[in-house]
Amino acid sequence: MSKQQLAASEQLDVVGRKPFPLVRALVFVGLVLLGITFVLPFVWQVLISVSSLTDVDLLTQLGYPPDLKPENYGEVFEKVEFARYFFNSIFIAGWATLLQVITCAMAAYAFARLSWPGRDKVFFLYLGTLMVPGVVLMVPNFVIVLRLGMFNDYLGLIIPAAFSAYGTFLLRQFMLTVPSSLDEAAAIDGASHWRIFTQIMLPMARPGLIVLAIFAFLFNYNSFFWPLILIKDDNLRTLPIGLMAFDSTYGRDTPLIMAGSLMAMIPPIIVFLVLQKYLVKGIQLGAVKG
Amino acid sequence: MKVGSVRRRTLIALAFLLPNLLGFLIFTAGPIVFSLYMSLTDWSLTKHNQFSDQPLQFVGFDNYAKILWGSESEFFWDYFENTLFLMIGIPISIAGSLVLAIMLSTKCTPTRLGSRLKSALIAGGVTVLACLGAWLVTTPTMDPAFADEAARAVMSDETGLTDLSGFQVATLRSHAAILAVAVLGGLITFGLGIGQVFFRTVFYLPTLLAGVAMFLLWKTLYRPKGGLVNAVLQPVLDTLDATVGAVPPFMWYALGVVIWLITLALCVKLVLVGLDRLKHNEAGIAAFCARLGIVATLGATGWFVGYWSAQLPERALLPTGLAPITAAQLDSVSTDLQALASGDASLIAGAIEELKAIAPVPVEQTVESLVKPATVAGVELASLSQAVESNAGASFDGYTAGEGLQAPEWLISATWAKTALIVMGVWLGIGGGNMLLYLAGLSNIPPELYEAASIDGASGWQQFIHVTWPQLAPTTFFIVIMSTIGGLQGGFEQVMIMTQGKADTRVLAYYQYELAFTDQFQLGLASAVGWVMTGFIFVLTAVNFRLGSQLTND
Amino acid sequence: MAQVTLESVRKVYGKDVVAVESFGLDIADGEFIVLVGPSGCGKSTTLRMVAGLEEITGGTVRIGERVVNNVLPKDRDIAMVFQNYALYPHMTVYKNMAFGLTLRKMPREEISKRVNEAADLLGISHLLERKPKALSGGQRQRVALGRAIVREPSVFLFDEPLSNLDAKLRATTRTEIKRLHKRLRTTTIYVTHDQTEAMTLGDRIVVMSDGKVQQVDTPLGVYKRPANRFVGAFVGATPMNFVEGKIESADDGLWFTAPAANSMPGVRIRMTDDVSGRLAEHTGKPLTLGWRPSAMSEHAEGKFAIFGNQITLRTAVVEPLGKNIDVSCELPDGSHVLARIDAREDFPVGEDVPFYLDMDHVHIFEPSEFGRNLSHPART
Repeated sequence: MSKQQLAASEQLDVVGRKPFPLVRALVFVGLVLLGITFVLPFVWQVLISVSSLTDVDLLTQLGYPPDLKPENYGEVFEKVEFARYFFNSIFIAGWATLLQVITCAMAAYAFARLSWPGRDKVFFLYLGTLMVPGVVLMVPNFVIVLRLGMFNDYLGLIIPAAFSAYGTFLLRQFMLTVPSSLDEAAAIDGASHWRIFTQIMLPMARPGLIVLAIFAFLFNYNSFFWPLILIKDDNLRTLPIGLMAFDSTYGRDTPLIMAGSLMAMIPPIIVFLVLQKYLVKGIQLGAVKG
Repeated sequence: MKVGSVRRRTLIALAFLLPNLLGFLIFTAGPIVFSLYMSLTDWSLTKHNQFSDQPLQFVGFDNYAKILWGSESEFFWDYFENTLFLMIGIPISIAGSLVLAIMLSTKCTPTRLGSRLKSALIAGGVTVLACLGAWLVTTPTMDPAFADEAARAVMSDETGLTDLSGFQVATLRSHAAILAVAVLGGLITFGLGIGQVFFRTVFYLPTLLAGVAMFLLWKTLYRPKGGLVNAVLQPVLDTLDATVGAVPPFMWYALGVVIWLITLALCVKLVLVGLDRLKHNEAGIAAFCARLGIVATLGATGWFVGYWSAQLPERALLPTGLAPITAAQLDSVSTDLQALASGDASLIAGAIEELKAIAPVPVEQTVESLVKPATVAGVELASLSQAVESNAGASFDGYTAGEGLQAPEWLISATWAKTALIVMGVWLGIGGGNMLLYLAGLSNIPPELYEAASIDGASGWQQFIHVTWPQLAPTTFFIVIMSTIGGLQGGFEQVMIMTQGKADTRVLAYYQYELAFTDQFQLGLASAVGWVMTGFIFVLTAVNFRLGSQLTND
Repeated sequence: MAQVTLESVRKVYGKDVVAVESFGLDIADGEFIVLVGPSGCGKSTTLRMVAGLEEITGGTVRIGERVVNNVLPKDRDIAMVFQNYALYPHMTVYKNMAFGLTLRKMPREEISKRVNEAADLLGISHLLERKPKALSGGQRQRVALGRAIVREPSVFLFDEPLSNLDAKLRATTRTEIKRLHKRLRTTTIYVTHDQTEAMTLGDRIVVMSDGKVQQVDTPLGVYKRPANRFVGAFVGATPMNFVEGKIESADDGLWFTAPAANSMPGVRIRMTDDVSGRLAEHTGKPLTLGWRPSAMSEHAEGKFAIFGNQITLRTAVVEPLGKNIDVSCELPDGSHVLARIDAREDFPVGEDVPFYLDMDHVHIFEPSEFGRNLSHPART
């Protein structure tokens, strides 16, 4: 926001007038009340996760568990290979993110900054595939991964996620906003394309890279369908699949399920709190394509 | 920058592009073509695998015919209907996002750092004091009255608990009260101190965490007994019940009629205004059709609300006519469930009869939905019967026998399961990306427009209609298109985790999964389903574009 | 140090969008050449072709003796200052200036020596550890200059380097660039749309329009002998006044005349003898008279005291500038001309006032936008 806009927003709210103190107070109260509906399930989840099985109904009636049982968290790790799921998820999402950002950034550079015959046609092909819904890709990709021998394997989860037409598009848009005089200056300074890419473009497109990294990480971390059909071994399961299996075997032990799901929510929260600024920008920027 | 010979430039570009292009061809562009081909064959993993490699049959458009009007059409259209039903949540969620965004962009918290810190400090202090107060007021002392057997009996009556003393119950309630005060105070304190970003973060949390873990949480929230949703809802319904009982029935009929009349008047007015505009060429046919759509929605809602309120007294006062369930019956239920799990057809039939005799309607439906997928893998059946047991168990004691308004058995009941998914979807999506887009859109509206409008004498609502809404039209357009596309494809994860496809909640994405990756592994058929969905998406998007481009040009 | 030669250089975008047409120019070693023209005239494209940032469609560009058409920018031994400075935002000022030298694998001490020298020269030594974001516009401009200087290239290229600065800073930086050039004596090609910059900086000026060179001359040459009507209108602090009419032959010489109309007096100016010879053949044809607003006076004194240089105009608006006033006057055909004369109070408005022209700055053009200067043809 520019200084001017800030100054204007000091005086005017969205409906164009300085709201009456009463209106502002009401809006604040509304926000707090809404906030409660968003926070309450999580508070309840925390409370369940530290109560014992027999107390869950009691907790709902009384608002607080009779006995605190933080051992539930340890028990999750004993009952199933939870640490293993955690590792798998982070490992797979991490590698997929890293590879995807690298390949997409390189391709985006070729689209945004290099001039070669057929560029626009290839880019149009990339754009075209964005229109095709994901449901079409699942089945053939399963067969392809099967044929490539990546079934029930880390590779089957990482390699297909290491490329993204959307990511390429997003980074291209970011790179187009970098003034072209910067790489021209670098070219005159004596930089090769690889050097312009690594020393000028990557640092300049850093917000874009972070945005794509967040998207890719969250997507792969939460990914459910793909590992569901691809992974059969327990020790290769990612968190979502592990949690589902956990639920179907220990589903009655609600405290354990809540403890497990609560722990699974921690990495996205950390990513979000640290990189929130970029994520918000990225979502708003991603809409530009519309 | 165009430097060097074409050959050189192409080689450099290829070096940069190659890693991505390879993956793109293998995992994105290639599969699209491959999928089209598969949808025209009888490709099935049971027939075509490393052990039995039967020749692939090219079947032309048979798969499509099967889905649209052949042997599979019954399922397909049923699931399509479910998908559309679940998409009811989309407009609600979008409207909610807009409201949230407008609330957030109202400068309702102090803007200067100093006053922010000051107010947060005060709120924090008050919160701490309030917590202390709650502690002082609610903490039970070792009052002899609590040790008293009579008091214990009162507590037992109230809570249905016998193994806790009145003192313990009071202590827990006290803790809950302190916690509630702390949560409320925390929200206020952080809200004042951090402002918009804090609330934005809170609202965004569900979207951020949407995944298996979140769906498991909601599965727990929706438990008919012991779930948070019904724990909050039941007292409300009870109050409503009491209110309904206290008000003479004819008042409710009158209310229903009044609601109908108001709705009718509104609809007529809307149509007349629309016709007028059409006549004076102020708006196109599409705008008029959109208006008709709004009228239809409004009319249906009004009719439903009116009908429902007129029915209220009967519903509330009508006893369900079921006798309380005895302990012996409960025992037999668990035997029945074991029978179900065994998969023995004759045992199952007997079990169903028994359950029907004693169970209220929802349990009957659960049992039916339990029997239907008897062919599904053993694990699923086990988890299923387990779910039925715990949930059905809940419906056996306490809640079933009563009369009046009962909170729904959300995920178990075929009537309410889709609604449950919609409610959850709205909660998940309302503060997500759409809200952020609206926030960005709102901050991009030049303040001069509002200044000009207020000089022209527009009221707050008029400014919304004439400035905010038109300025946000492109954002809304984008959101509607993306949400529609997402909605048609979505729902798989929720259904898989929360209802395992039961209670009439299967959606197209689930259907595709079922065809391709369970049972028959009919990849060809599943591919065809994918393309039919794509067709729907294209049609809906085209309609959106037509309507949208007319409406945004208004 | 090198001379730069452009031989019938052409630039065509796509199939038929001609950006630059047959541009030919010899730039001497150490010369300061300014390309000036309105936006879209092809001056930046020309500069970028010299830099190697645009493909050259036709013709040759030489730097020194070498044809550089297919030489990469980094191998052309040039340095460029961009309009938006193109400083790398993630590098400190020092690193920005050192980047090109580092890429050329220069020893570290040498780099540090050169950067510090350049920083001293430009007075930015105290800013070396800052990032561009923390600098003012003028400081950024200096860093961009410094980055070009440290390379010690044989040609400097400037692409509108001052247009992002405010008016005052622009003037001082302009002087500074001139001083820098005096000191370094590096061949320089400078692109601007601002004719003042062009006049003050260039050893020679290249005026461009529509992708074509209109005139190449020294600043004063361009000012005194504009090759055509466009150059006359473009160069100079105030655009030339034009009036349509024709040359008539009379006993006392050739007269340029425009008819009276709307109760306003016509125009009748006698051509001086030194230009009459060139104009005789155009008698009777439609022509345009052009003169500079500053070449006018209320009083027929000194160089204004010539026979037949009086022009009577209907005054409309007076704008005081301080030492001078600008008087906007109406012509019989409805167009407006400007007179810049010595200031005085109570200048009559709405009356017919006689003015006197300095005939050294009165030109006769062919009538079109690019009509040739017939009275004072440009040197070739």
